[in-house]
Amino acid sequence: MPKTIIPFGPQHPVLPEPLHLKLVMQDETIVEAIPAIGYVHRGLEKLTETKEFTQNVYIVERICGICSFMHALTYCQGIESLMGVEVPPRARFLRVIWAELHRIHSHLLWLGLLADAFGFESLFMQCWRNREKVMDIMEETCGSRVIISGNTIGGTRRDISSEMLVKISSVADEIRDDLKRVEPVFFNDYTVKHRLVGVGVLEREKAYVLGAAGPMARGSGIRQDLRMTGYAAYGELDFEPIVETDGDCYARTMVRLKEVYQSIELIKQAASIIPEGEISVPVKGFPKGEVVSRVEQPRGEVLYYMRGNGTKNLDRLRVRTPTFANIPALLQMLPGSQLADVPVLILTIDPCISCTER
Amino acid sequence: MIENLTDISVEQLLTEAHNMLFDDYRFITATCVDNGDETLDVIYHFDKDLEMKNFKIRVQKGAEVPSISKIYFCALLVENEMKELFGINITNIAIDYGGHMLLSDDDLESPMLRQQITIERKGDK
Repeated sequence: MPKTIIPFGPQHPVLPEPLHLKLVMQDETIVEAIPAIGYVHRGLEKLTETKEFTQNVYIVERICGICSFMHALTYCQGIESLMGVEVPPRARFLRVIWAELHRIHSHLLWLGLLADAFGFESLFMQCWRNREKVMDIMEETCGSRVIISGNTIGGTRRDISSEMLVKISSVADEIRDDLKRVEPVFFNDYTVKHRLVGVGVLEREKAYVLGAAGPMARGSGIRQDLRMTGYAAYGELDFEPIVETDGDCYARTMVRLKEVYQSIELIKQAASIIPEGEISVPVKGFPKGEVVSRVEQPRGEVLYYMRGNGTKNLDRLRVRTPTFANIPALLQMLPGSQLADVPVLILTIDPCISCTER
Repeated sequence: MIENLTDISVEQLLTEAHNMLFDDYRFITATCVDNGDETLDVIYHFDKDLEMKNFKIRVQKGAEVPSISKIYFCALLVENEMKELFGINITNIAIDYGGHMLLSDDDLESPMLRQQITIERKGDK
């Protein structure tokens, strides 16, 4: 049978950002997929070499809007490790609270986009309506909704009052109750399951060798979550990574949905035991040496490599984001799939192209 | 300050990558750094049970380095990126974009390399 090439993207209703795939087809079945990226490459790594290491916090926050806090957290933790800075305990807990708020808003945004991708408009709106509560908390605690700029080298830039912590816990309960109402649709609805179950299966061994990260890896049965290393205050909180074993689009959806509940519990735990005290310490000197810093973003593991030379500028800042790690797995999942499944399949890796290209 | 960092030669790279795969390590990524003295460091990051293992090779600018994407397919993107942004001649990449994964024809060549700027005043020559 002759092969045809169908271009998918870079502009497509299901893609929030530009990604192009050349799909080699045999009838309706994909035989091969070749990605083309580079539409939003901004040269941010190069830019960080020209700015002072303290200014880089604002650059890395702008790598991605959805996980801006986590980018800054990874960068600050790396510089703090290079300079031997001990972050105050309260700041470590504040970092967990904001990071988990980001995870909730990222996952709810993604659940809404997924619902939109398979044509379930009301489900999309319910997810995004719920997400608005998180965005309001961001605004109330930091003054902005997306790039909240909460981190600084040595701690956090803002504190959260005890009254606000009570309010955050109560809003977290509301989010959980609202999600409980829409959860049966994701878990049991015939049309939803028809589009997700058995689609884009990624076996555990393949996921591991292909370097899959985050919900993509955990949806294939890999118990891998950087929070288990105990960075920030995660070492003092009780949680277990969410793992599903089927490796299909449905499993990846389940992981993200359950992680919203997990984040709510982590926020409530952190809010209940957060110690009083300083939120940052002064930092003197310049970073020297090299370090690797890793954090679990909503989409998976992010890695920062930094090399300081003892001056105000870094020699190198390298960022490897989770989507960068998940694209090879996507390329292996697509062959054998049907053309109609491609939008949902691409979406289940939760692609962030701004992150990938930097 | 990087945990488990080992210096290796370019010739050892493929053997070490094979060993990593055999020992059930996951490839995370690779990092290229311009040392500013005509040499580049390439650091390969691996992980197993959240413990990292890193290998560093030092090469001359424009040197030839074998691709590990036949061992770890997921290395193809970062290898294309290093080839494009730093001008390392990485050979036999599983999918080779020929220097056009991120950059277009009009962009600078190897833009991540440190640029040598020479200011010449009138009468200097």
